[in-house]
Amino acid sequence: MPSALPPEGGSPATRCWHETDGAHIDVRGLPPPEPLVAILSLVREMASGATPVIVHHDRDPQLLYPELAELGWTAERIDGDPGEVRLRLRPAE
Amino acid sequence: MKPGAPRAGAPKLAAGAFLSGAKGRLLPASLPFRFFGAAIAFHLLAWVALFFGADAFPRFQGGLGWTLAALHLITLGTLAMTAIGASLQLLPVATRQPVGSPRSIALLWWAYTPGVAVLVLGMGFAQTRLLAAGALLVVAALLGYALLLARNLVGARGMHGVVAHGWGALASLLVALASALALAGAYVGWPLLGRGSALSLHVVFAAYGFMGLLALGLAYILVPMFALSPAPPETRVRSSAALAIAALALAGLASFDVAPLALRIAALAAAAAAIALHLRSMTVALATGLRRALGRSFTLVRIAWALLVASLLLALGLVIELSLPGLPALFGLLLIAGWLLGLLLGFLQRILPFLASMHAGAGRRLPPTPSSLTADRPLSIHFGCHFAALALLTLGILVDSPLLARLGAVAGFVGASAYAWFFALLLHRTWGAGSAAPRAAPNAPSADAPSPNPPP
Repeated sequence: MPSALPPEGGSPATRCWHETDGAHIDVRGLPPPEPLVAILSLVREMASGATPVIVHHDRDPQLLYPELAELGWTAERIDGDPGEVRLRLRPAE
Repeated sequence: MKPGAPRAGAPKLAAGAFLSGAKGRLLPASLPFRFFGAAIAFHLLAWVALFFGADAFPRFQGGLGWTLAALHLITLGTLAMTAIGASLQLLPVATRQPVGSPRSIALLWWAYTPGVAVLVLGMGFAQTRLLAAGALLVVAALLGYALLLARNLVGARGMHGVVAHGWGALASLLVALASALALAGAYVGWPLLGRGSALSLHVVFAAYGFMGLLALGLAYILVPMFALSPAPPETRVRSSAALAIAALALAGLASFDVAPLALRIAALAAAAAAIALHLRSMTVALATGLRRALGRSFTLVRIAWALLVASLLLALGLVIELSLPGLPALFGLLLIAGWLLGLLLGFLQRILPFLASMHAGAGRRLPPTPSSLTADRPLSIHFGCHFAALALLTLGILVDSPLLARLGAVAGFVGASAYAWFFALLLHRTWGAGSAAPRAAPNAPSADAPSPNPPP
């Protein structure tokens, strides 16, 4: 089970934790643009390494993709819970 | 399947390729981009109209002619046109509600754009029948927009402060349209309301009400998005909206000669408080965001905010009947070209590459980045020319010089041409990057049609 860690640079309502497949961030329920800000904060923290970021979202974060492209990161959709949009973000190869 | 595993049958996708799937929840690019394109074309034409109306400009207080046509090419052709395109694209972000069908939005553009063209030709050539025909088309199109806006706002979830700005803008639009019909009716012999009342209502509710509240409301989405900062405190946003709407109500009452001096001063005080709260939210967002360097576009925006405050000071001068020749023209210049146009062009030069990148991912491993789609040189030329035009027009008013006004129009035209160059380069780069969307058929639904799900 993921363990909740103190938020790092994100909104107080953002949940961040680490698992073997990467750094997870749950931004469900946050008003725009806070999911965008929280995700990009985490991506910037991870930018120097190859650790993927797993995003748990409640909608397709369309505004995120141009920002990710600027950072040279890619996104892929992976299976998540019902009603969840789960993405794996990683640096472009 | 184990959560976290790739979706069955879903290959690994780059952000851009994934975006092509998410793109289905955006409006087709051809819809917002046609509004933006028309706005940029009307912006160019406004300076041409002002060149021919320069003789009347320094002491302009209304009346048919090319100065009035230039004013409406900016207000209806550029500001409202962009606001419609931007709000239809961005309001669903705040309201989590879809807008109308692509077909209804395309129809709106097809009514509004020729309507504006006919209306300003009627104003410029002083052809009242043409003016009335254009006014009817514009009013019909804006009522259609009001309907789309209302449908979007009803049942909106979240961002209540932004939604309150939307409702205020919608109510203001209705007042602005009613007063516009009264003014246009007077020209064709059907006076519905005294000209003084209609003009006062029209200026206040069209500029500060409809355009102003939309600009303030959309800024709560756009500025934190650009600066990558948290959303402003909801209580402050709602307080600002309430004060702004109260200011409009007070100014509206004053238009009917109900204690006009006291009500107008109270309206200005409420408006000043609303703007102070708004600017506080904006400066905090800019100071605390992940992205501090927002470049020339936000220099334009910051100066526009300063000119908004200046417009309120000049409005106070008008209320207390300060004896300064050309004060009405100066007030109009700072309000329309200084605040609203500057703000809009500043925001638009950041929105356009961003939207283009969102739409350009189809079939590509990586989408083009917004920074690769923008064009700095034309924007740099526009920046210089925009402020040269404002300075020349201000001087032209202060010394009552049509020549300076004409030179200002030339500077504005060069700046608008540079902005159109930027837009053309952006379309070329976006199209070259593989997006067919900006060229999509006007009413094409299918792949690009928005799903019931709103964007984030």
